[in-house]
Amino acid sequence: MDLALTEEQKARKQEFYDTCKELDKKKPATLVGAEDIYEDDASWKYNVYCAKEFARKGWLALGWPAQYGGKGDMMDRVLFSEARGYYGIPGVDIFGVQMLAPTLLQAASEEIKKEFLPGIASGDVMWCELWSEPNAGSDLATLTTTAIKKGDEYVINGQKTWNTGAHKADWGFGVFKTDPAAKKHHNITFILLNMKTPGITVRPIAYLDGHAPYCEVYFDDVHVPANNIVGQEHEGWAVVNLLAGFERSGISEIMSMVRGLEDLVNFCNKTTRHGRPLAKDPLIRDRLAKLACELEAARALAYRVADLQNRNEMSLMDASAGKIFFSELGERFAFLATDILGPYGQVKTSRWAPLDGVWEKMFHEHFITTVSMGTNEIQRNIIAWYGLGLPRIR
Amino acid sequence: MDLRFTETQEILKKMARDFLATECPKTLVRKLEESKEGYSPEVWKKMAELGWMGLIMPEEYGGMGYTFQDLVVLLEEIGRNILPGPLIATITSAFPILEAGTEEQKKEFLPRIAQGQLIFTTALLEADGVFDASGIAVRAAPKGDDFVLDGTKLFVEMAHVANYILCVARTKTGTSPEIGITIFIVDSRTPGIACEVMPTTAADKLCEVRFKNVTVPKKNVLGKIDQGWPVVETMLRKGAIAKCAESVGAIETCVEMTVAYSKERVQYDRPIGAFQALQHKMADMWTAMETSRYLLYQAAWMESEGLPCAKEASMAKAYVNDVYKDLSKWAVRLHGAIATSADHDIPLYYRRSKAADVSFGNSDFHREIVAQKIGLA
Repeated sequence: MDLALTEEQKARKQEFYDTCKELDKKKPATLVGAEDIYEDDASWKYNVYCAKEFARKGWLALGWPAQYGGKGDMMDRVLFSEARGYYGIPGVDIFGVQMLAPTLLQAASEEIKKEFLPGIASGDVMWCELWSEPNAGSDLATLTTTAIKKGDEYVINGQKTWNTGAHKADWGFGVFKTDPAAKKHHNITFILLNMKTPGITVRPIAYLDGHAPYCEVYFDDVHVPANNIVGQEHEGWAVVNLLAGFERSGISEIMSMVRGLEDLVNFCNKTTRHGRPLAKDPLIRDRLAKLACELEAARALAYRVADLQNRNEMSLMDASAGKIFFSELGERFAFLATDILGPYGQVKTSRWAPLDGVWEKMFHEHFITTVSMGTNEIQRNIIAWYGLGLPRIR
Repeated sequence: MDLRFTETQEILKKMARDFLATECPKTLVRKLEESKEGYSPEVWKKMAELGWMGLIMPEEYGGMGYTFQDLVVLLEEIGRNILPGPLIATITSAFPILEAGTEEQKKEFLPRIAQGQLIFTTALLEADGVFDASGIAVRAAPKGDDFVLDGTKLFVEMAHVANYILCVARTKTGTSPEIGITIFIVDSRTPGIACEVMPTTAADKLCEVRFKNVTVPKKNVLGKIDQGWPVVETMLRKGAIAKCAESVGAIETCVEMTVAYSKERVQYDRPIGAFQALQHKMADMWTAMETSRYLLYQAAWMESEGLPCAKEASMAKAYVNDVYKDLSKWAVRLHGAIATSADHDIPLYYRRSKAADVSFGNSDFHREIVAQKIGLA
């Protein structure tokens, strides 16, 4: 066992932190939660600005092979995610950089890699994910939106939903039924499409706090070049499973909580209630200390996942365990922090809100990690069935 | 970064697993719980031949010179199997001798500990039942070339079979509880010492040790007079990590046994492990095991490297304490009535989860350390 970073890694980590710290100074006040970039114009502009800064340094292609302009290794990706999480800096497209790029590198044709990787590395092309449908959520393989091949094109008809940032995205990757007669899991193709293609309608969905980071996407005779696929035709399910395994270490979210805890501890040291600092309240001390232990446990497990990924030994079980743990820790943290803030825990970002209203935001946003990327209940199935080998009754 | 075990560690792990499976079956564990001694001198002798007591002692004192991490690997196996006896008490009592002992003391005690000739234990807790210095009231007063000890220690592991007891005593009442603490190496045969085994959840032979006019020569003062508390803190930190290792091993057994049983036990015409109510609980148990394991490895690695890790050790102990109790409780629940039987192995672990919890600092004690270390005023 060796948890040490090499001297080179330490130096790069420092550079990641320094850069993010500088970028933090230019962050708009309206950017509080990670999903704000999809809604608020100033936040989106800042997102694009950060993306270009990172692209300039080659950091959007960390861990890629050198022939595609890559730099560093998977460990660098983790260290970079840490720094961004700690300072709450956007600029790394979850869908393009974190999910699609590693998938393309493993599963796409040379032609597709050459066409799409440069736009991801340069921060010029932003992506969205087109997976879920109104009647195909956890049981994604029952999706019904069709892409029927006509000549050298697919013609897409149907509806997708819960598409984060689809209204901002330039391109989308999705799964569509290409062979309606074939068996489940062997009738789906993984397709890349330009979001400006005629026939696509994007409508924002109001999230429970009134914001709208998610969209519905409607397809009405949308023509897409038949070459724009990843993996084999009708075998997109394998690509779904591959993609779902990327970047679930959660290190960025965990570091964001580490920062959140530091800020909350400062708040408790400075804020007086009942004539003493909140920090001196034994109940608050105990609850914050307990949360700090859990947060460290989440971080330790994230490093385990990163260490496995770095050696190409990804275990689905560990990724699922990490996702369950850090996302539910996010729930507990949001509840605890808004408890400690008392009546102020309900105030949205404004002059009355302590800590920029970040905890009021987290009171809503924690669902994004527990429900998306496979609900935590699905993650528990994965551990039980594929990890522990427990019987699966269909 | 590489979180895998080294080759040496893999060998140590396999050797320990095989040894314990042969030498310490559950029939022996139950017999030892009922016995007066609480350990098997035969197994103790064989462990000494394997070098376990001196595993991480330097070779110059007869040890094997392994790292703290390696010890963690061994203790995980011990926790997996369960091994009643004074191994952890002896190993952790050697830490302060190594850290604060004179060369003479090291030469006198360490080689004999490494060879399995001496059983050591540490007497820390008293009537208050707290782990900080405010709980230390046993008095030690100077008298000529000696000190005279008076007072009562509680929860002293295996003191009834120990050759020596490290007694943490008060030599001065100072401005703060941490000032005026001195550690003594006390020969357990010294007149005035009375020892009685307390009945406990895990039947792990915790003792009350009464000191009445007990004379200890000054040469047996361990470390500096009145300044012994930092040495105790270090021992508590290392002991906490060691205990976590034992607990993580036990947690692993609880998960494995529960998953295996749920695949065998049939109700409603199917293995109970096919029911999602049980599957999700077991997925949570597995997740709790993994978080515990890597939290432990982080602290163990830092300790091994000599990095400051008071925060990480306390985080691990506070967290693993709670996981072990809760998870072994669920192991009983998922097994159902069968695991409430004294003949079943799962209750052996459940009962030990309470013992592990209060050994080297309970969760409240360690969470207060965490509260300070994260910067709460």
